[in-house]
Amino acid sequence: MHARSLLSFILCTFSCIPVSQTVAENSNDVKVRELMLQLGSDEVKAKDTLVALAKVRHPKVKEILETYRIGGYFLWEEQFVYANTEEVEEDEDFNEILVICDPLTRAPLAKDGKPLKVIADELEEISADRKERKLVSELLFRIGLFDPDPVRRMASVKLCGDKQIEEEAELLKKISETDKVNKIRFIAKESLLLIQLGKSLEEEDMETHLAAAKELGRMRSLRGYPRLDKLLKANLGRSETEMSAIRVYKNSMAQIDSHQKFADHISYFFQGLSLGSTLILMALGLSITFGLMGVINMAHGELMMIGAYTTYVTQVCFGHSPDNPVNGYFFVALPASFLAAALNGAVIEMLVVRHLYRRPLESLLATWGVSLVMIQFVRGGFPWSNAEWASGLPYFLRWSGFGDNIGVNSPTWAVGSVEVAQDILLPYSRLFIILVCGICLGMVYVLMNHTSLGLKIRATMQNRDMANSLGVNTRLVDIYTFAFGSGLAGIAGCAWTLIGGVTPDMGQVNFIVDSFLVVVTGGVGELAGVVCAGLGIGIGTKLLEPVEVVGGSIGAIWTKILILIVIVAFIQFKPAGLFAPKGRLADV
Amino acid sequence: MSENLNEKKRRLPVGLLVLLFLGLVAIPGGWYTGITSIETVNMLGRYMCFAIVAIGLDLVWGYSGVLSLCQALFFSLGGYAFGMFCAHHGGPEGLIDATGWKLPACFFVVYPYQVGEGPTDALVPWFWKLSWYLPVAVLLGLVIPGLVGFVIGFFGFRSRVRGVYFAILTQAITVAAWNFFCMNNMKFCGTNGLTRFKYICTTMHPPGTKCAEYAPWDLSDPKVQMTLYLATLFCLAGVYWLSIAITRSRLGRVLIAIRDDENTICFSGYDPANYKIFIYVVAAMIGGLGGVLYAPQMKIFTPEYMTAKWSILVVIWVAVGGRGSLSGAVLGALGVNLVYNFLTSRAAETWPFIQGLMFILVVLLWPDGLMGILDRLRLRGIEFKLRFKI
Repeated sequence: MHARSLLSFILCTFSCIPVSQTVAENSNDVKVRELMLQLGSDEVKAKDTLVALAKVRHPKVKEILETYRIGGYFLWEEQFVYANTEEVEEDEDFNEILVICDPLTRAPLAKDGKPLKVIADELEEISADRKERKLVSELLFRIGLFDPDPVRRMASVKLCGDKQIEEEAELLKKISETDKVNKIRFIAKESLLLIQLGKSLEEEDMETHLAAAKELGRMRSLRGYPRLDKLLKANLGRSETEMSAIRVYKNSMAQIDSHQKFADHISYFFQGLSLGSTLILMALGLSITFGLMGVINMAHGELMMIGAYTTYVTQVCFGHSPDNPVNGYFFVALPASFLAAALNGAVIEMLVVRHLYRRPLESLLATWGVSLVMIQFVRGGFPWSNAEWASGLPYFLRWSGFGDNIGVNSPTWAVGSVEVAQDILLPYSRLFIILVCGICLGMVYVLMNHTSLGLKIRATMQNRDMANSLGVNTRLVDIYTFAFGSGLAGIAGCAWTLIGGVTPDMGQVNFIVDSFLVVVTGGVGELAGVVCAGLGIGIGTKLLEPVEVVGGSIGAIWTKILILIVIVAFIQFKPAGLFAPKGRLADV
Repeated sequence: MSENLNEKKRRLPVGLLVLLFLGLVAIPGGWYTGITSIETVNMLGRYMCFAIVAIGLDLVWGYSGVLSLCQALFFSLGGYAFGMFCAHHGGPEGLIDATGWKLPACFFVVYPYQVGEGPTDALVPWFWKLSWYLPVAVLLGLVIPGLVGFVIGFFGFRSRVRGVYFAILTQAITVAAWNFFCMNNMKFCGTNGLTRFKYICTTMHPPGTKCAEYAPWDLSDPKVQMTLYLATLFCLAGVYWLSIAITRSRLGRVLIAIRDDENTICFSGYDPANYKIFIYVVAAMIGGLGGVLYAPQMKIFTPEYMTAKWSILVVIWVAVGGRGSLSGAVLGALGVNLVYNFLTSRAAETWPFIQGLMFILVVLLWPDGLMGILDRLRLRGIEFKLRFKI
């Protein structure tokens, strides 16, 4: 009993029921039992009974209603009992035997100290018909108004407004004043106003109605907009006397509309920011390999793919899944994908790219070949994986690839979004990508400008022979640089798993052209150029997409084409990009 | 490479002769005697279309040093122009729109109906009406790529976009075009592409009338396929001859000079941009011609040819055959595709590996491609002769 009263106490404090109700807990118990018996015996009045049951503020009511909906209550010798139908035993005559329990506590009913077992045929099931089930769902939502879980409470509060359940108006008012969660208070008030708005337009309610309409506008309630719109349309041809009401509606709608536009613009801007940082992440590694080393690495997208697949493998190793989240895997996956892609990059450098420095066109072709091999390897493994002669090989030499479809599950913290201001939602995954992008930018900046490796890299790129003669091992520097650029691609791939799909050919399809455009627009080998171009293209795209033209908004594809035209036009004026190298370097 | 060219000027175009012999005598002979099936002939015809496209790229890349990844786009533009003609006349006939035009069958599968519209409300858009007559379709297949090429070249070369930048820019344009053609509301049949090719109507019958009544060429007829094959062969020979003429002229010399040192040619008083624009437009039209010939032989044309994969494939044909050698381009296009054809029917999974390795090896080990290897062998032969005084 202690435990239960504690539980109900917690429940009450969370859901703001007056404390006085908790005192009558025992009598509540009795009342619930009475109602349950009534539910079993009087089918005609079942609906009223259910409503009455829902009104009893008892912690078990929710469970009872749920069980009633799906079945589990029975009548047995004029008693209302519960039996778990999933645990059926059979006796020697193959009769189904059920253990019957107390409906409230679910403790098995005892007879002579043993649990009471009854043949299933002796029980009369109490089942809910379709209307009752519907009623129960609605009641459950109303009970949800007292739910300790803020998410469920919020859903209930919202539903009350959407369905205009007038009986709960009082409670909503209370919630809107006393609930601990701001957002719930807001929604409760909104719902209350919606209920008031929905009242008939007779004289005595008119004042409340207008006040509600006004207040909805003042609150910039997006939920109120369609309701007001409906009212406005319904009263389109009404007489002068109601003009005041129409003016109020219009005013409120204008207020909401301007708020909506504002929120939309903020969210477009944010989407652009996040697209921009994805582009920067993709292009960052490229600007190192292409800008500093003069190599066009068409396999850059595939290095991102390697990063994404490393994330997948890490996730599998950690056993992460939405049902069994092991969120830590992502923080292992980030460095792991960096390392995997960097290692890959180093191998590519040593085998292919080192022959191609300062021969960009040839490097384009050769690395395209590399990318084809990588895609096919990830998709189908070794070409001999299914051949008969290879069946004797150890498994790692017969590996048959990941296939075309894998699922990377984001860590649970990356799901959902934070509401920074009313109706402005920022998804966590996007925020995280912006953060990763910032960190990577910082890493590159520090590495290039404040470490000896960075110094050596810059020296090698500016004058290879001179650096060589001063004792820099330029070969090693090349490998490190290429591996670093590739590793950045790996991180980009890892971050990409939060927002996009992972397929073997994701690099060729999604990234390679876009990231090259960023590098070209920004000017080769310039960090600032990559940032400006990435953000510019990202934000420009997202701001352009929703612009209204004749017959709807511009849309994604036209935006892409337009952005391309802008870039081409831009290159007319600045053929070497935003931040062009100057002086002797310009001709390289 | 330039000395090589001097030498070549004196030689007969051996490649052209070999090609003509093989194509004109061996293959048709094989078909008449029943040795080669019509499918093989058709396949060769299609690969020769690729060879035409490759020659175009070789002109801009091999001879003028401009790596363009738009060649597949020009090919597709030509293919679409002619494919629309074929789609007009093919497929189940019968649906006539409000303006009296027959709707292509592939069209109303993805036609973007407005709310409340049904298939009977669909209209044939104006740009489809252009390619109803055969000569117009062929002309469009050449002119449109030429125009697009001119615009790209004009803006690209005038502002001195060079090398890698130009390659990336053209690749981006190709991707944008792919997006454009994939959109259903652009009414190019979306990603499904143009399908149900059946006839080539040689008579100029009025729009809305049935093609079948005017004795059209049935595309499934072996004789028609043979004719198309021969037409492709002659076009290939013509393009080859034209290209040789261009590269051996004064203009060709300037182009090679641009490739080898653009700054010097500027200082000598030439404006490289005009030369580049010219050769780029020529290459674009050649690419368009390839597409025009390809569409009726493939009997389907989809936007897939505008993806990054195809634009780079064209480059690899030229690179494998030998950049800067026209017979190399033909050899490369035919060779790579025949290997592809051979492999996909046997071990399809290995093709990407082989293709990838081909890219890498050609670039690293044989920068002059197959023609380079042949040249080296010939040099060896001369050396051998000299040494032993044969």
